[in-house]
Amino acid sequence: MDRRERLLNLLAALLDTGIGLTAQEILGEPSLGYVGTGESQRKAFERDKATLRAMGVPLEQMEFEGDYRYRVDRSAYYLPELGLTTDEGAALHLAVTAISLGTGAGEGALMKLGGREGERAQPIAVLPIAPALAPVFEATRRRAMVTFGYRGTTRHVEPWGLTSTRGRWYVVGFDRDRAEMRVFRADRIDDDVTLGPDGEFSVPEDFRPEAELAEAPWQLGSDTPRPVRVAVDATHAADLIARAGASARVERKADGTAIVTLDVTNPDGLRSFVLEYLEHAEILDPPEVRAAFVDWLSAIAGGTEP
Amino acid sequence: MSPRRLAEDDLTRVLALVPWILGHPGSTKAEIAQRFGITPDQVEQDLWLLLMIGVPPYSPGDYIDVDPEADTVEINLADFFTRPLRLSPAEGLALLAAGRALLAVPGSDPGGPLATALTKLAAALEGVDVAVDFGDPEFLGAVRQAAEAGHCIEIEYFSAGHDRMSTREIDPGPPFFATGQWYTDAYCHAARDSRMFRVDRIRTLRDTGRRFTPAGDFDPERGVYEPGPDDTEITLRLESSAAWVVETVPTTDVVERPDGRLEVTLSVSGTAWLERLLLQLGPAVEVISPSPARQLATQAATRVLARYRRGA
Repeated sequence: MDRRERLLNLLAALLDTGIGLTAQEILGEPSLGYVGTGESQRKAFERDKATLRAMGVPLEQMEFEGDYRYRVDRSAYYLPELGLTTDEGAALHLAVTAISLGTGAGEGALMKLGGREGERAQPIAVLPIAPALAPVFEATRRRAMVTFGYRGTTRHVEPWGLTSTRGRWYVVGFDRDRAEMRVFRADRIDDDVTLGPDGEFSVPEDFRPEAELAEAPWQLGSDTPRPVRVAVDATHAADLIARAGASARVERKADGTAIVTLDVTNPDGLRSFVLEYLEHAEILDPPEVRAAFVDWLSAIAGGTEP
Repeated sequence: MSPRRLAEDDLTRVLALVPWILGHPGSTKAEIAQRFGITPDQVEQDLWLLLMIGVPPYSPGDYIDVDPEADTVEINLADFFTRPLRLSPAEGLALLAAGRALLAVPGSDPGGPLATALTKLAAALEGVDVAVDFGDPEFLGAVRQAAEAGHCIEIEYFSAGHDRMSTREIDPGPPFFATGQWYTDAYCHAARDSRMFRVDRIRTLRDTGRRFTPAGDFDPERGVYEPGPDDTEITLRLESSAAWVVETVPTTDVVERPDGRLEVTLSVSGTAWLERLLLQLGPAVEVISPSPARQLATQAATRVLARYRRGA
């Protein structure tokens, strides 16, 4: 018998039953098509259960009078009615085709929502989703703790939200071991994400994951913020000012040059940022930050002291 | 693709097809095929499969009732498949992420059908949502308008690779977002060839008054950086602390050495770009080849230091 036919009949029977079916009832039913000896029947049944679960079918296994009974609860299986209008369905089709996430999951979702409505869109953005994001997203929905490997350490995190900026996805959450909010780059989370029980934490109503992201490399550290003044040439002033963000203080000169004051918590991040501008920008003060920058370059230049 | 994977795909499709047909009795096979991205023949095969599906006690009235050969399709006695299987976490996330992303494209309608669809979707996912930010460079809207209308524009552009400003006339393609930035794949009149421009590096923009015919399709997946014929191959040895370079910079070859260091080969078009990278990496990088490039970091560091000697 066609395996698809057997799987569909099994699923139909499991959705149809109220109290559940035992393995014996399932394997003994000729219409379900489990042919062969006891051992090969068992193996085929195990394989079918695994396939249904992998598809996301909420297959329940209940112990009842010394035997297992299997069933699929319709309320857990059925997609809730979203009440989408034709326009809304078409808008989701546009979104799935305009944004390339590097997964076929969006197309799969559209099929479940009733197939493709309207036209495809021109691709507009490439924004790859890391494999670890789906289980973390599920954990956020269930308010379940996640455990995952991250840069060589195991983390235990309450995943409060997901956000994407500058083309990368981030998980924002409360790190239980470090007892503080942390931001994790999704593409650096190992694929071994495991979920704890549901309802382990709550998220404040007004929580916005994007607000937790440090805006710039010089803000990524935990030092006490200190103001650093950077001078920039006229040719590069617009670029530096744009990247300095809203928190920077800008003093423009008549000749087009500018002095930008940044609040720095990560001096290494500041150094990399200023080096983007090569000889077109200069750290003015404080003296120790300027001296550290000069030391860094002197080491590269071969120890010649300026 | 393994047979097992195919069985799952077929199942997933059939389980999505049935509820839709139940809700739209009398649809043609052609309509169904188009909606679900398959051929009318495949629709008929799926219907033949459905004819074999029933529930205990499997008397004639317990099987799905459908005529696979009729032009219009009607399904009866499929009470157990009245609704599709709920979205998997990956599907829910993909739909929400794509929707939020498209809404985040500057110029999208924040109150349109996409926004209301996402509100309904997020509610069904128990209020979980995602946030997407694409940034909004100053001339993004102007480039998009010029690309749509076919307006040749003159731009002042900062080339980071060569660390210089230039003025060019370009026929811009539709802007797209990739690797964290907005780009336009444009025809550059000075180069007489297509060039990729970062929209945030456009400093000024004006309409030249000349017109061009916008091209049809383009594919942002093909990447924003293609090595050119004038590029130089550079091989660097990186300490493990500098391994992030491999994730952020297009490489042509990466070899991990037994001591954990990496030998990375890059295709470089502009000296300034490489100078910046070398100065940022400092002691964590060593230039292996070509030998003239070994002096780059020293020269650049000396040049930048000259400014500090002046200013101190």
